[in-house]
Amino acid sequence: MKNLLARPIVRLLLAVVIAVVIIVAPISSSSFINYQLSLIAVFAVALLGLNIVMGYTGQVSLGQSAFLGLGAYIAAYGVRQEWPVVVIFLLCCIIPAAVGLLVALAAARLRGLALAMVTIALPIIGVPLAKRFPDFTGGSVGSTVSWLEAPEGSGLADDQFRYYLVVAIAVVLFILGRNLVRGRIGRAFAIVKSNEAVALSMGISPYRYKVLAFTIASLFGGASGFLYIAVVQYTSPETLSFATSINLVAAMVIGGSASILGTVLGAIYFVMLPVVAGQIDSSRTALISGAALLLVLFLLPGGLVSLPRRIAQLVRGGRGGSPRSRAAADRPPTGDTAPRTTAAPEAEKQPR
Amino acid sequence: MKNSLKPNKRVVGTIAVLGVLALTVTGCTRTATDGGAGAGTGADETAAPSPGITDTTLSLGISSPLSGPTAGPGSCSVAGLDSYLEAQNAAGGFEFGDGKTREVTLTYLDDTYDPAKTVSNFKQLVGDGIFAYVGALGTPTNAAIMPIANSEEVPQVLLVTGATAFSEDQKANPWTFGLLPTYYDEANTFGKLLADAGKPITVAVLSQNDDFGKDYVAGLTDAIEGSDVTIVDSATYEPTDTTLDSQVTQLAASKADVLMSAVSVTPLQVGVLTKAQSIGWLPRIFLPSNTSTPGTILEPGGATAYPAVYSTSLTKVPASPTFAEDEDVKAYNAAFAEYGSKIAAVYTPHCAWSYAEGAILGEAFKGMEEPTRDSFMTALKSIKDFQAPLLLDGITVDTTRDDQPAISGLTLVQASGPGYAPAKAY
Amino acid sequence: MAYTIQLIVEGFATGSIYGALALAIVLVNRSTGLINFAQGSMGVLATFVAFGLVQLGAPLLLAMLVAFVFAFVFGAGVERFVVRRFEGGDPDTAVVVTIGLFVLIAGIAALIWGYEPRQFPSLFPPQSIEILGVFISLRSVGTIVVLVAVMALLQVLFRFTKLGLAMRAVADNPQSASLSGLPVSRLLMVGWGLAAVLGALAGILVAPQLFISPTMLDFALVYALAAAILGGLDSPLGAVVAAWFIGIVENLAGAYIDFIGDDLKIAVPFIFMLVILIARPQGLFGRKVTVRI
Repeated sequence: MKNLLARPIVRLLLAVVIAVVIIVAPISSSSFINYQLSLIAVFAVALLGLNIVMGYTGQVSLGQSAFLGLGAYIAAYGVRQEWPVVVIFLLCCIIPAAVGLLVALAAARLRGLALAMVTIALPIIGVPLAKRFPDFTGGSVGSTVSWLEAPEGSGLADDQFRYYLVVAIAVVLFILGRNLVRGRIGRAFAIVKSNEAVALSMGISPYRYKVLAFTIASLFGGASGFLYIAVVQYTSPETLSFATSINLVAAMVIGGSASILGTVLGAIYFVMLPVVAGQIDSSRTALISGAALLLVLFLLPGGLVSLPRRIAQLVRGGRGGSPRSRAAADRPPTGDTAPRTTAAPEAEKQPR
Repeated sequence: MKNSLKPNKRVVGTIAVLGVLALTVTGCTRTATDGGAGAGTGADETAAPSPGITDTTLSLGISSPLSGPTAGPGSCSVAGLDSYLEAQNAAGGFEFGDGKTREVTLTYLDDTYDPAKTVSNFKQLVGDGIFAYVGALGTPTNAAIMPIANSEEVPQVLLVTGATAFSEDQKANPWTFGLLPTYYDEANTFGKLLADAGKPITVAVLSQNDDFGKDYVAGLTDAIEGSDVTIVDSATYEPTDTTLDSQVTQLAASKADVLMSAVSVTPLQVGVLTKAQSIGWLPRIFLPSNTSTPGTILEPGGATAYPAVYSTSLTKVPASPTFAEDEDVKAYNAAFAEYGSKIAAVYTPHCAWSYAEGAILGEAFKGMEEPTRDSFMTALKSIKDFQAPLLLDGITVDTTRDDQPAISGLTLVQASGPGYAPAKAY
Repeated sequence: MAYTIQLIVEGFATGSIYGALALAIVLVNRSTGLINFAQGSMGVLATFVAFGLVQLGAPLLLAMLVAFVFAFVFGAGVERFVVRRFEGGDPDTAVVVTIGLFVLIAGIAALIWGYEPRQFPSLFPPQSIEILGVFISLRSVGTIVVLVAVMALLQVLFRFTKLGLAMRAVADNPQSASLSGLPVSRLLMVGWGLAAVLGALAGILVAPQLFISPTMLDFALVYALAAAILGGLDSPLGAVVAAWFIGIVENLAGAYIDFIGDDLKIAVPFIFMLVILIARPQGLFGRKVTVRI
């Protein structure tokens, strides 16, 4: 299987299949499914930003939801002022990036948990701040917009049109992000992550690259806020709440740190888990979400993106992984007191 | 870096396969769900049934916070309604205006007070073919779906929120309105009591930093305009605050005669009552109806220390000995023990409100002559002088006004002994 | 003047709530080098155990002791069977594991007791005493006394006892600690167990005021984290002083600076924190760590 996948022609075919699936999906799906798929694209962009600063550069950020929220507010305001869509989108990128830059100029002097703590402050201060300026934000009732209706004659429903728009923007942003992390800047990020002293000795300023990573993360956060308004058509202080930030961090690690594909998987997890948990038992969603998160990390400490490697390890038997991690994976997670039944459907989805 | 590239390529394959599988499972529902959402229910004389209704069943949907800090009231907004519906189903079902008897089921989803999840849940419920979306709790969450409900013509009715935004303009949003008296009306009632006293009274106001607080302050301010009553100090709080001690200390410095404590969070409201007396400030207290339950607020807060505690009330309190022999309360307690207790563990007033809401729906079903959403809305919007179970005497349902929620009367009550009695003048 | 002092007293009392939880965070960080986001919900679960016993008619002190034992076993078990697997790996993953625990434990507590806050009996009488026009509630006094006592105990534990020194050695470098014959596995479990007991103590101290619910300590946790990091993460004294600082600064700013008001007062301690941390990255009382290459 590995050899087969290594061939360029197979990879090209796969890429074509995925592209076709992405393009065809909304045509036959219900408006609910299209909404979920669009949301996955929205949060994938936010997670990509987070992954650049956290996964690739190694700086914990617990403030990504603040930039998502800021972008969403700017977009909602722009729509109400009837600004052109392109202007709105650019502002949604530039203003959060500028805010992120300012914060990073001060905060990037810190490292590790101190930096994490400063970033926590962003959503926590952001919520009352948003309520302070109701003319701009709509206050605590939030801001409803109605825009991006499918153009006449396109034959698309609104949800399909928004899906294509959001996915197209997300794909472009992902290509940019991928090139960034695989290029010269990405290598510098990796060195800063692994050892700041070494980075310095190589003439790479950790401070400058941390500021850069943080600014880029804020830009992606703001862009995802634009996409959020395109899909949800509503925003309120709840969008930028601290809980969203925490969930984004969890989703990033669940998907796979420092991995583009992991970012997408993390977004799928972020959007789909509440839906799946609600299907199982809607009054026990916290229990199911917590158990699922722990279960995934127990089986796949490297995130969902490590699933194929993990399967390969299990198939090849003892030679694959380290004996310790294998033993731990085979043993049921004894610390996990959740009823087994709730976690079972999650486990069954994994191909064996 | 190089090592991390290889597995990614392999993963692509797995994902593609999963994606195709997911599509084959989930796809092909497009025509089924979009057709009936609004288009077919128009002026057609034969009235094709709306989604979610058959000759024997009708399905309702709700999305409320069922986990997280607002899950207490959120769960109750589902539990009370479910209790009423299931008890009625067990007793043979609901009678409809078209002569049929139907079983009414409720599908409930958790949105954790996150508007994006509410939109998702709403689309899921509508996609699954609910007939109407009823009784959801939360202001931002309901605000997020109001435009969608109105453009898709899905009833979004009897919402368990006191925000004015959902009921004030039902011409613009004909598919949406609230259940409960607005925060504005409640504070207005308090303000009138003070203004009618006809003497100089100083008031300190503590309110939540959101629309709830703003509506409340507006209601009070409008009522006392031109009277001798003045607001001498005010403070706000966030629902996430751990304590309001500093706010109370600040307000106590004003030595106001009255404290209007518009706090919607149980522990914080109790904290306000304990704090004010502990620093020697004993004003007359006004409490909003959602945090005035004797057992969970007054008694732990030591409310007897204050010269008077006022609140408003809509419903009989099921746990109160005053109503132990009341037929409504007995029926409620039985139904809740059987059905609702699976969803909500602790009583909040929202349980009683949403139970009454079930009865209002039942009344609407009786007047519904065709199995359509239009007919349902017409029936629901023509209920007048209906005495829903658990509602206090004198409080009736009137849905015929297009700028008011279903219930707009309020009974002003005053703490006395273990419970409340109708309020005397200030 | 009495008003200002009253606000400072309130700040002390509120800061003590954050401080109690901050101590638990410091303890976990000292023994495993991790930040435990589940610290609050673990404390709440133990407090619920006490709550359940009190409902069954047990006296509060007994219920509290049982809750401590439960917390110790639970904390040690969580370390051994959940966190152990992620120690030494990617620290982000370990943090996310504690986020998972945080969600799961709150879910378990909600499954049994529901989300609606409930009244919890207090260890201290509800009265207040008045000194020169300033009112001080006995509950706050009691909380502060207990907090200071626990903080002193912890300082002694880390400075002067074999157990404390061994725990520090393990946190600093597990491999060399293991080579020098320390029972690393058991020490890690003890560290987490003790931290969970502190969390339970924090829960029981604040539950009469905050009311017990699965989300009781969620927001206090943010303040506690801030206090722990501002104080220096490895100093119990620092954590408590920082917690008081946060409580007082917040109250004074909210009352005296009109522009800030009650809604934005939360920003003030965070801005102070940023400034202090830039000047002293190791925190107010932390030891400076030299970076190994």
